[in-house]
Amino acid sequence: MMVKLKLMCSVTDTRHTVLAITFCAFFMHVIVEANSWWSLAMNPLLIPEAYIIGGQPLCSQLEGLSKGQRKLCQLYQDHMQFIGEGAKTGIQECQYQFRQRRWNCSTVDNSSVFGRVMQIGSRETAFTYAISAAGVVNAVSRACREGELSSCGCSRAARPKDLPRDWLWGGCGDNLNYGYRFSKEFVDAREREKTFAKGSVESARLLMNLHNNEAGRRMASDLAHVSCKCHGVSGSCSLKTCWLQLADFRKVGDALKEKYDSAAAMKLNSRGKLIQVHSKFNSPTSHDLVYIDPSPDYCIGNKSTGSLGTQGRLCNKTSEGMDGCALMCCGRGYDQYKVQLVERCHCKFHWCCYVKCKRCSRTVDQFVCK
Amino acid sequence: MCTGLPRTACPLRLIALCILLSHAAAYFGLTGREPLVFLPGPFANEPPNGKAHLKQCEQMTLTRRQKRLCRREPGLAETLRESVRLSLLECRYQFRNERWNCSMDGRGSLLKRGFKETAFLLAVSSAALSHALAKACSSGRMERCTCDDSPGLQHREAWQWGVCGDNLKYSTKFLKKFLGQKRVSKDLRAQIDTHNINVGIRAVKSGLKTTCKCHGVSGSCAVRTCWKQLSPFQDTGHLLKYRYDTAVRVHSVTNSATGETELASARRHSNTIPRPRPTELVFLEESPSFCRPSRYSPGTAGRPCSKDTSCSSLCCGRGYNTALRLTTLSCNCQVRWCCHVECQTCLREEEVYTCKKH
Repeated sequence: MMVKLKLMCSVTDTRHTVLAITFCAFFMHVIVEANSWWSLAMNPLLIPEAYIIGGQPLCSQLEGLSKGQRKLCQLYQDHMQFIGEGAKTGIQECQYQFRQRRWNCSTVDNSSVFGRVMQIGSRETAFTYAISAAGVVNAVSRACREGELSSCGCSRAARPKDLPRDWLWGGCGDNLNYGYRFSKEFVDAREREKTFAKGSVESARLLMNLHNNEAGRRMASDLAHVSCKCHGVSGSCSLKTCWLQLADFRKVGDALKEKYDSAAAMKLNSRGKLIQVHSKFNSPTSHDLVYIDPSPDYCIGNKSTGSLGTQGRLCNKTSEGMDGCALMCCGRGYDQYKVQLVERCHCKFHWCCYVKCKRCSRTVDQFVCK
Repeated sequence: MCTGLPRTACPLRLIALCILLSHAAAYFGLTGREPLVFLPGPFANEPPNGKAHLKQCEQMTLTRRQKRLCRREPGLAETLRESVRLSLLECRYQFRNERWNCSMDGRGSLLKRGFKETAFLLAVSSAALSHALAKACSSGRMERCTCDDSPGLQHREAWQWGVCGDNLKYSTKFLKKFLGQKRVSKDLRAQIDTHNINVGIRAVKSGLKTTCKCHGVSGSCAVRTCWKQLSPFQDTGHLLKYRYDTAVRVHSVTNSATGETELASARRHSNTIPRPRPTELVFLEESPSFCRPSRYSPGTAGRPCSKDTSCSSLCCGRGYNTALRLTTLSCNCQVRWCCHVECQTCLREEEVYTCKKH
């Protein structure tokens, strides 16, 4: 697509130039919009009843979906709401994990949710892809268990071999299998429908995206654990029922953040596959994150890389880590403000049955990067 | 030194070096030009005739006064080298988990500024010097001092039993002459340096403990021999690291009563001028973060770190690379009669984490 763009933009005739410029603008718009099915998280799809009547218009209204994803949307109308929820969970977890770093997973308000930062195949991009894929697995599996989706039900996973014999296997577990497969179909649809020349930059990016999506999904399914409930005589554990349950999404976020720290730098070899840049380090497994470009400088705002800069970010004066004022403000210094914080305090429980709190205000120092 | 420079730059460079060296009079062992490994030199195989130390005195970077003191005292050269080694090891050990790990690169530029790290370097170097001198006195390596002879100890008995306390008094007195601290100058930087050197010496003094040994009838404490002993240098290093963590930033004020300039710390709002305590390290300006390579440090790229604790702060958010390493270690050790230990060597694979470059 980039090659066609260059050809189109090199015409010299004025009339053709105008046409070419509009074409260029159109293509650029498409490139910026790449893989923004995350925009499902931004538009709250809160009204499932609206889908019942005339499913067609709603799917075409959703921006940022590719052709394959639109087809899946039309086939599985009711899943869209949960995909949006899953993307939202992923973005929220991303913002929590990166809240103390220079790039804090902030979203911009157009159809490309994170801006041009996602065009660069950096470690942050890898994390974002992985956590959003994991979010979709979570949301769809939960929805299956809750009975919200017509095409799936409770988990029918086999009883794990190491479960003690006296415990019952049953209950209604999260349908991890279905969630994993659906997430794979939907999230990878955009990557699968494109083909690029072997050895080109786009094919490297495609392989990287597929690997990271898979890493996120695997992390979500590996952290699922067996959860049990005791319901014997007077609540004792003589009778126990166990089922498979998804992990708390915070744990998935923590695990993926560790993978982010140890992500591997890759490049394309002559056969068109991704290999490590430094071969003496451990090669990444399917659970690890990979990236192809070094991260841009997040200190200064730059429109071409999409970095927002750290100006105006809050920093912690006493911390030595990345959220300390020395590192967050990149040596530019910080301003100090006094801020009134109003919060609830002296809460008392009244019989029966409400809690009444007073409002206290205190002055705290806030440090903002210049 | 003057080759390839235009005519005017050479005398300027000499003058700058002189200024640097005159500052160098205040501290020893830190200019970054000390060699880490002292080659034995051409006189190593000669029988000790008392002249070898003169050559060693010439090899080191000292001022004229310091060289004179060095020539007068034969054991001093060896002690100075020992103190350099001690301060380097201790500095590296205390800062092994920090972004600035006391490397020799950039040491010269660091000493020209007034950071917290400069304060620590001065303090640990003077502490090492006084520690080494005191130990040398009690070990008998110096001609002009022997065991501790302060009153209050039963020194005659101590001498009879062969106990020798560390002579910190001589060490402190000698250091005052050696480092030239008698002249109090008005320069803010020199005042700060003097203050920090005194902090180092005080840290060694505070580690002086009275140790006793009971040797009465069947080991009872009816008869006791006591002497003063310096704590191991690692404790002093630990104390100085704590002082580094709680260092105060100062600026210069003029004392309206005496008309002299004094140091004043920025904190502690009180009516009187808040002077920094004599046990606190002081510094002038905030240090840079030593994350990227600069003229003060080589950066944290390639530093080994431990995944759970130090990688997140050492690597400054850049992440780390994982590599597998084969190490050999002794295992299945058994005692054989009599009396040695036989061990096998086991191979173990362990993961090594190093900080990424970008």
